[in-house]
Formats: sequence, structure tokens, C-alpha cells
Amino acid sequence: MIKQYDIAILGGGPGGYVTAIRAAQLGFKTVVIDKENLGGICLNWGCIPTKSLLRNADIYDTIKNHSDEFGITVKGVAYDFGKVIKRSRSISEKITKNVELLVKKNKVDRIKGFGKLISRNQISVFDENQKEIEVVEASKIIIATGARPRILPNIPVDHKMIITSSEAMNLSEQPKELIVIGAGAIGIEFAYFYSVFGTKVTVIEMMEQILPIEDKEVSELLAKNFKKRGIEIFTSTKVEKAEIKGKNVVVTINQNGQLKELKADKVLSAIGVTGNVEGFGLEELGVEIYKGHIAVDKSTYETNIKGIYAIGDVIGPPWLAHVASAEGLYCIEKIKGLHVTPIDYDSIPGCTYCQPQVASIGLTEQKAKEKGYEVKIGKFPFMASGKAFAVGEREGFVKIVFDAKYGEILGAHIIGAEATELIGEVGIAKSLEATYESIVKTVHAHPTLSEAIMEAAAQAYGEAIHI
Amino acid sequence: MKIEIPMPKMGESVMEGTITKWYKQPGDTIKKDEPFFEISTDKVDTEVPSPSDGIILELLYSEGDTIDVGRTVAYIETDSTAAAIAKSTPSKVAEAKKEVETIVEKEVSQPQIVTDDKESLIDIPMPKMGESVMDGTIIRWYKKIGESVKKDETIFEISTDKVDTEVPSPAEGILAEILVNEQETVEVGTICGRLSAHGKVHAAPKIESEKIPAYTDDSMHSIIAQNVNDVIEEKKDNSSSKFYSPLVLNIARQEKIGFDELENIAGTGTGGRVTKNDVLNYLSKRTKQPSEPQVKIEQKRESLEAKPSVVYSTPKKDFDASYVGGGVERIPMDNIRQKIMHHMINSRDTSVHVTALIEVDMSKVHKYIQKNKDSVAKQDGVKLTYMSFVAHASVKALKEFPIVNSTIEGNTILQKRFINLGIAVALEPNGLIVPNIKNAQDKNVLGIARSIVDVAERARTKKLTPDDISGGTFTITNYGVFGTLFGTPIINQPEVAILGVGAVVKKPVVVEVDGIDTIAIKPIMYLTLAHDHRLIDGMVGGRFLKSIKDTLENFDERVLG
Repeated sequence: MIKQYDIAILGGGPGGYVTAIRAAQLGFKTVVIDKENLGGICLNWGCIPTKSLLRNADIYDTIKNHSDEFGITVKGVAYDFGKVIKRSRSISEKITKNVELLVKKNKVDRIKGFGKLISRNQISVFDENQKEIEVVEASKIIIATGARPRILPNIPVDHKMIITSSEAMNLSEQPKELIVIGAGAIGIEFAYFYSVFGTKVTVIEMMEQILPIEDKEVSELLAKNFKKRGIEIFTSTKVEKAEIKGKNVVVTINQNGQLKELKADKVLSAIGVTGNVEGFGLEELGVEIYKGHIAVDKSTYETNIKGIYAIGDVIGPPWLAHVASAEGLYCIEKIKGLHVTPIDYDSIPGCTYCQPQVASIGLTEQKAKEKGYEVKIGKFPFMASGKAFAVGEREGFVKIVFDAKYGEILGAHIIGAEATELIGEVGIAKSLEATYESIVKTVHAHPTLSEAIMEAAAQAYGEAIHI
Repeated sequence: MKIEIPMPKMGESVMEGTITKWYKQPGDTIKKDEPFFEISTDKVDTEVPSPSDGIILELLYSEGDTIDVGRTVAYIETDSTAAAIAKSTPSKVAEAKKEVETIVEKEVSQPQIVTDDKESLIDIPMPKMGESVMDGTIIRWYKKIGESVKKDETIFEISTDKVDTEVPSPAEGILAEILVNEQETVEVGTICGRLSAHGKVHAAPKIESEKIPAYTDDSMHSIIAQNVNDVIEEKKDNSSSKFYSPLVLNIARQEKIGFDELENIAGTGTGGRVTKNDVLNYLSKRTKQPSEPQVKIEQKRESLEAKPSVVYSTPKKDFDASYVGGGVERIPMDNIRQKIMHHMINSRDTSVHVTALIEVDMSKVHKYIQKNKDSVAKQDGVKLTYMSFVAHASVKALKEFPIVNSTIEGNTILQKRFINLGIAVALEPNGLIVPNIKNAQDKNVLGIARSIVDVAERARTKKLTPDDISGGTFTITNYGVFGTLFGTPIINQPEVAILGVGAVVKKPVVVEVDGIDTIAIKPIMYLTLAHDHRLIDGMVGGRFLKSIKDTLENFDERVLG
């Protein structure tokens, strides 16, 4: 018998499961279909397990390199790489179980299996043996199948020596040498993680700076810090090819026309992601695909086929869990007919969890100028923050970009301790259309790192106190 | 049962509507589905039917008022016995008034004139009517002392050496003082009268006491206020409690947007909040409007804007002498006219219009129509017109040149895979609307012919839905029906091109028969394509027209199948 639903959601990642719960709250009979544990890449193979690993790295780094500074004598510091990985896996396991419970609690039906669209309102679900186990019918279908690491032919990933992020967070043995191709957030986090534990890390980036989408000053400071850690960085450098030769991978790079060979026992390919659009019926239904992603109308997230919607990584950048969730919520609330405000893609925070942490929202100084804004820049170094001094995290700064004409916050860029937590304050300010005064006149607790945001805003208007 | 009649929701993006006509008045009976009132939104004009049988109890707004979607605009009593009572007994307000009148008669033999509390009075100055106009004469007061007046309701009429006009009230209140009497001439800016927002009445010169109505006493008003408080509360837009973000306020300050103006900007943000983009959109529209009309009083800009009848867009020092006398009739623009005006100005200011022209030999189409129009009309119930063939050929050309079927968004081209073909429909006596035929790419000539008849018919009978007039991708305007040979149409934003169709006229043309040039008589039509040069250059524009020409000149009967 075909089961009837109001909403069927294909994919149970941070886009899919969040949308499913909200749909149920809004009174829709909802089903979510995913062949893996709920939580998607984010909870299983992304955000959460990597943040667990990075926490190990932070603690190890502090004990090993800074204990003396705090008057603590630690002898014979050692680590167990297997346990480091195990902690991360068990956290992932527990958190995905919690999501399964959460979905159940909200009366969302959950089918474990591979869903395939067989018509514009029917999904057939298969088990791992390709046997059809169920067919569901829904008046609206939301596709949230996410994305997977992008693979280029000249970097032939074999998942053993040339790996992607999924393997990098689950290695049985620590590599001695690691070449990271691509210096986006994923590449940078693994470069930091492995270098802390003593792997010789080399980072190769095609663009002219690491973390290419971040503010130039932020990227420069991070590069300086990484080099101090012993990470070798090649920017404006193309990878010609990567070849497995015996127990090593040889990577041929091209820096301004000069070819060079690098060797390592592992190569991490972190050159971005591509949407999961194949093999589940999109082509047959004629759903429009654009550059490897589903094309949608971002005022509804509906595809070119009526009744079929798509959200999250599968519709293209920015590939972020929080964007997927936000798009899903907007999509389902719009379907319900609620008055919802479109997502402001200029107000999406982005975070990189290496040390020092990097977080940003909105336009960089360079981008703002390109867009024709006359900008006012406010900057405050953590060097001048009492709290940063006290906790021994004096590296980094807060930089806020204002529109000189109306005082709008165009963007904020933070590098330093807890940057990823601090950026939330600017997010709220930006979405409520606050100006520098709103931030400066908000009393900030002392001593906190967040004072640096207040001071940076004040500095833009010549009112900073502590610099 | 007393039921509320709300301003209906006319589509996703329509947030408010203007009542253009009440078909019924309080006390009238109304049947279910009988038109109750007519509204105009920025998308479409329509009649609103009554949801049930009943008797009209109360109309909360006047014609011309613009009301948010969902807000109650009237009450209907559906229970016939209750309705009968409602008809014979005074409404809540009237009851209160009556009660008050009795009190007044009992306790107050002479009208009391209160002269304190001047601070709460609102001055009504002689408005500035233009650069060189220094004074004005009050011809007539529309309100007597003690009478209540609504915001924007005419309060007096003035005459200057340039223009006669009605002056709207700057606020809601009760006329408390008349300082300048009829036929008196005073300088611009002189206070002519004062309004009391609190309902107090003040001493007035040269006004006989018996002219002051009995219910203008202070104490009485406070009683009325108590009794009808809830009624007034319902009507009052509680907009002063709106939240404005610091950024919005900054922009308003710098761009000199008054608080009144700000309050009238429709908010699209969370909870209807006015966002930065709302203000910037408003600004871009505001700056495109004609320069400050003469009759506007600086501080009261908003109140006058609501009264287009006194707004001139002619240059300031250019008044014809005949304006003073009776030689010119002053006709207020209706909503549709104002919308068309703004759309045209907006299009002119947005697109870089270029017009290309081509001549088309309609012999084959003409012949086909002559031969088949009767049988098609009989069989399919569709009247074959040149327009259907031109539209069909245009769709084919749009498929060939999809760039013409697109929109500009910043530095991005949004190329549509569907063709929603706009058909400009003239409305009597002087109007225009452009419904579009959805997914015209899937229709054959007959399908298009049928759709054209359908949208045109619904446009003329005001049966269009907001969907019909949104989402168009390309427009055709057929001025040929008026005999016009060719024109240079204005692009329907946000599209990038519009096709103008001229009249089909028999003309002598040179044709080559067996290698010899000879003159023949052919039905000839001119097509013009006005295209946005930002996106479409002469090459594509020319080829696009050529494609339509080729399709029509080599018309193949099989497309009808």
C-alpha cells in the first residue's frame, strides 16, 4: 500500500531533519528518508566529528607548548591517536542517535533506505540490496540530499593514500607527512589538526591566499601563524597531478609556471564539494540541474517542477549546515503560507575552527569596495584586550566593515580565540540592522573577549578607549 | 450574527488595497456573492462579493482609503431579526451621542467655550501654493466649529492668483477655531484655523453662539470619548508603536524622510518591520517622482500626497492664465492611472530603450485567415486574428533567442525557460493592463488565440487575478487595432523587450516574379521591437524581428495541427 504524506523529505542532514521537525510542528504529515543515520555529513562526517578532533588538538597544543607559561610542569606528554579518533566517532554516534529520537518525538516518520523519485509526488525506497521496500506519496517533496567532496581527475582519490575529509577524520594511523590540497575551511582545519600532532603538513592553494573567501588581513595573520607551526604553504599554486608511487603520493605543483614535486604518505583532497544530484530520478523528471546543483527559485526553493523543492548543499553554495537548516525552515514555512522574510545571504556567518579561530559574516573590506561602498573600517587587536591577556590568547583582532554613508554593518571578521562564538553578536546586530552606535552603546561585560567587538566598532568612529 | 468583512488577500505580495467604490451603504440589504465594494491593489482591480446575505451595519472606511490586507473594513448583520433591530436602533456611537445630548441639554444651557490648553491645538496654515504666490483667499470653510474632521478630509477651499484648491486637514480632530473667515485674504503661512485633537472647542471670532452645536462641550466629549473609546481604538492604526532599526532611522535622517512618511512605508521584514531595503526602495521611487508640487506644504507632505487632485506635475512657473478661470477641468487620476504613470516613468528610468522596425508581408497569414476563419470559429469557437499568429511567431523567436526572454538582476541575467507572454489590453475609457499567457511555449496558434481572447475578456470585465498579471517574460502590444502603423512602445518592467504590432494595410510593394521586378499589392504590417540596450544589442534585436518576419511570411498551415 502506498503511504500518503503531505511532505516527504529526501535526505536527513541538517537541512532535511530540521525541515521535517518544523513541518511536523506546522501540522504536516511528514516523512524523512535517508539511507544513513540522520544528521547527514554534518553530524556523521563533518561539523561535529571534526570539532571533536580539533578539541583534542587544542588541549594537546596547550599542554605541550604552553604549560610552562602557566607554571604547570608536565613531563612526558604523549597521546594515543587511536583514542583521539575513537572519541570523535563515539560523539558522532551518540549525537545522531539523539537526532533519530528527536525526529521520532516530533511524530515524523523515518524510513531508512535509498529514496528515488518515481514521479513528481512519489518516492520509491530501496534497501541496500536494491530491493524496493516502500513507496510513499506526498503532495510536496523536499530534496535535501546534500553534497559530497568534489573529485578531480588529476587528483585520483583512492580513499587510502589520496583521501577526502571523510577518511581524514577516521584514519587508523597518523600520517607522517600530509599534503592538503585546497585551503578552504576543511583543508585548513585538518592541516591544523595534523600539524599539532606532529605530522609534517603542506598546504596548496590555487587562489592567492589561504581561506580565499576571508578578509585578506585575517588570512595573512593565519598564514603567519601556520608557518610558525611549521606548516608549509603554497598559494597561487596549481596542482598538476597527484600520483601514487609505492608508499608515497607524489604531487606535482605549478607555481607561476615553475613545476615542483612534493612527496607525502597521505594527500587530502579538499577542493570543495559537489551536489548529490545523480541516480535518484531527477534527470527522469526533468528537474533542472545547473553546474552540478539543483536550480531553485530562492523565494520559494521550488525547482522547475511544481511541488518539488530543494534546499541545502544540493542547491549550491554556500555549503553550510546552518544555511541548509535556514533554507529548510524558510521553505516549509512558506509552503505553510506564513509570512517569512527571505534569507539574507549577505548575513551568513562562516567559521573555521583552527587556532587561532577564524569567523566572519558579510562582506570583506575588499568585496565591499568592489561593490562600490565607501567603507569605514574599525579594528581592535586582542593584544589590547584585558581578557585576552589574562587567558593568554593575545593573537588576532576584530575588524568591522561599515558603510560610511549610512553606517550599516557590511561585514565583520574575527581571528583569535573564540572567534567562532564571538561572531554571533555581530550576526544579531547585522540582522537587526544595528549601526556602530547600537554596538558601542551596548554595555559589554568586562573582562570579556566580546569587548573587542565594541571597541572595534568604536574605533571606526574614532571613539575606541583602549587603543 | 454580526460578521466582519476584511480587506481580501489578493495574492502573495499584495499587502494592501484601496477601496475605490462602495456599492452598498449602511442599512442596505445585500445578497451572498453580490458585489459589496470594489478595490484596487498594485496588481489588479476587482470587485469583492459579500460572503453572505445580510444588512450592512457599518462601513469603517471611505472610498479612496488604503487598508492593509486582513483588516476589517465593514460589518454585516446576517441574522434578519437582529438586522431589523440594528436598523431601527441607533448604533453604539449614535447611542452615545444621544445620551450626551441629553446630558448637555440638562446640565448646560449655554455652550461653554474653553480657552485653555492651547498646546494641544494643531495649526492649519494658509498653504504655500507656489514660488510666487504670497497670499490666498478662503472661499469656503467645509467644516463648522465643533465638527469633526478626518485626516486628509477637505477643511477649506482657497483661491490664489494661480490656482483654486481644496486644502485637506493635516490631522484628525475637531475644528476648534476659525481665525480667518470666508472671503478674507491672508499671507501664506498665516494660521487660518486650529484643530483640537482632544475634542476641545475654543473661542472663535465672529461666530454666533447658536451656530455652535450643542454637543461641542468639553465634558460631553469626554463622555463620548468614554463611550466610543473602543470603537475609535479599533479604527486607529497603532502604527506609532512601530520599531525602526537604527540603520533605517539613519537612512531616514540623512535622506530627510519624515516620520509620517516612514510610517507609511510597507515593511517586508519580520513582523512587518520596515527594513533597510524597504526604505531604499521607497527612496528610489520617491526620487523618481516629479519635483515638489506647488501646493504641498512642506511639513504636511504626506497628507497632501493622498490627494492627487491638487498635485500638479507641470513646471512651476508655467501656469496658463486659463487655469484661473473655468477653462480647465481638474480630474483626479484614478488608481490605475497613477500606477500606469509610475510604471512608465520607472521603465523609462530603468531601461535603455532602442526600437527596431521591420516590414512583414502578411499575404499567407491573411489568405489563411480569410479561408479558415469561419470554419475555425465554428469548430473551435476561436476567432482567428493576425495577433494570434504574431504571438505564436514571437514565441518561436523567443525560443530561438532566449536572451530576449530574460530579466536583469544586478549584474546577472535571469534567462527564463518558460515564456509567459504579456498581452497589452486597452481598458475603456483610458487605461491599460498587461495580463500574460502562462507557458505560451507549449501552445499552438489556436491555443494562443484562445488564451488571448480569455485574458483580454477577463481584463475588460475586471476578472483578472494577481497571477495573471505577474511573472510575464515578454510583452506584445497591438496598436494596429487603432490603425496605427508603427510605434515605439515602452518596455513592461522587468522584461527587456516589447513587440509593437501595427495595422495590416494593403500597399504596393516591389516583388520579383520570374526574375523581373514588378509592383504587387500586398497586406503589409510593421513590427517594432523596443528592446533594452543594456542587454540586447541591435544584432539580436534585428535577428529576433527577422525570425518573426520569416515565420509569418512563410506561414505553414501545419502549425495549427
